[in-house]
Amino acid sequence: MSNTGRNGQPHDTEPKDIDLRIKALESILLDKGLVDAQGLNEIIETYENRIGPHNGAQIVARAWTKSDYKKWLLNDGTAAIASLGFTGIEGADVVVVENTPNVHNVIVCTLCSCYPWPILGLPPRWYKSAAYRARVVMEPRSVLAEFGLVLEEQCEVRVWDSTAEVRYMVLPERPPGSEGLDEKSLAELVTRDSMIGVARL
Amino acid sequence: MRVVTPKVARQIIHHGGSARIDAATAPCFSVGQRVTVRNIHPCGHTRVPRYVRSKTGVIERDYGVFVFPDTSAHGEGNKPQHLYNVCFCAQELWGSTASKHDFLYIDLWDDYLELA
Repeated sequence: MSNTGRNGQPHDTEPKDIDLRIKALESILLDKGLVDAQGLNEIIETYENRIGPHNGAQIVARAWTKSDYKKWLLNDGTAAIASLGFTGIEGADVVVVENTPNVHNVIVCTLCSCYPWPILGLPPRWYKSAAYRARVVMEPRSVLAEFGLVLEEQCEVRVWDSTAEVRYMVLPERPPGSEGLDEKSLAELVTRDSMIGVARL
Repeated sequence: MRVVTPKVARQIIHHGGSARIDAATAPCFSVGQRVTVRNIHPCGHTRVPRYVRSKTGVIERDYGVFVFPDTSAHGEGNKPQHLYNVCFCAQELWGSTASKHDFLYIDLWDDYLELA
């Protein structure tokens, strides 16, 4: 017999304060007709199931396999990404920056949590934390080391602070040993963290 | 007030808003120029973080004309102007203990900048 409730929460655990506040707010907005329940479901469904890092992974795999596409992606990220069907809110203008053996890029939004939603989904919790936002601009190498990525001293680090409406994505290096793989198999190798720039593949 | 139905939600999610604006506004700076971030302290909304104020960098890219958030956030108009990506050496921002191989790239509007 399962000991968990509808949302996978154990029955014997009180809902967290923040969960209760969200539920209360949702009820009031629905009762007053300010929010449409089906509209809300559409938004949740979209970001839970349809939009996520698998979109970005397709872009990366295409760039690894087609040099013309890669060139286009780095010159006009917005258009190259839109050609694969990814566009919209929090990603209407996108710039892609390329990692090489000598240059490592990492993305942050020090002012809030700007992130390329159409291609990476919603940002992970740590990306929104004050600690990540404050420290990665000041001491990127130590922060990356805490993620398990120790960079060579000679490797140039470029930190991109998304202060405007332009959204950034990292094009990670193609991992060694992936030479024979097709685009679909390559996409499966690409992680969210590698496209934020806190990991190498 | 517009209620977000599934149709409206899809419209916003897939076609929602670029802050790019179709206005014939000339750029104040060009790629390669050295600029200093003005030492300004707006009371309201702004997109110029304190850690770059008074610091000098180089215009890396000109992204074109965008809505200016400092005025639009307060309902004071779009004040269309060029948005640039500006590159700073980590040592300019954090002093000599920062790596000379590290750089910070940030998006800044015309109104935040002056020629160095």
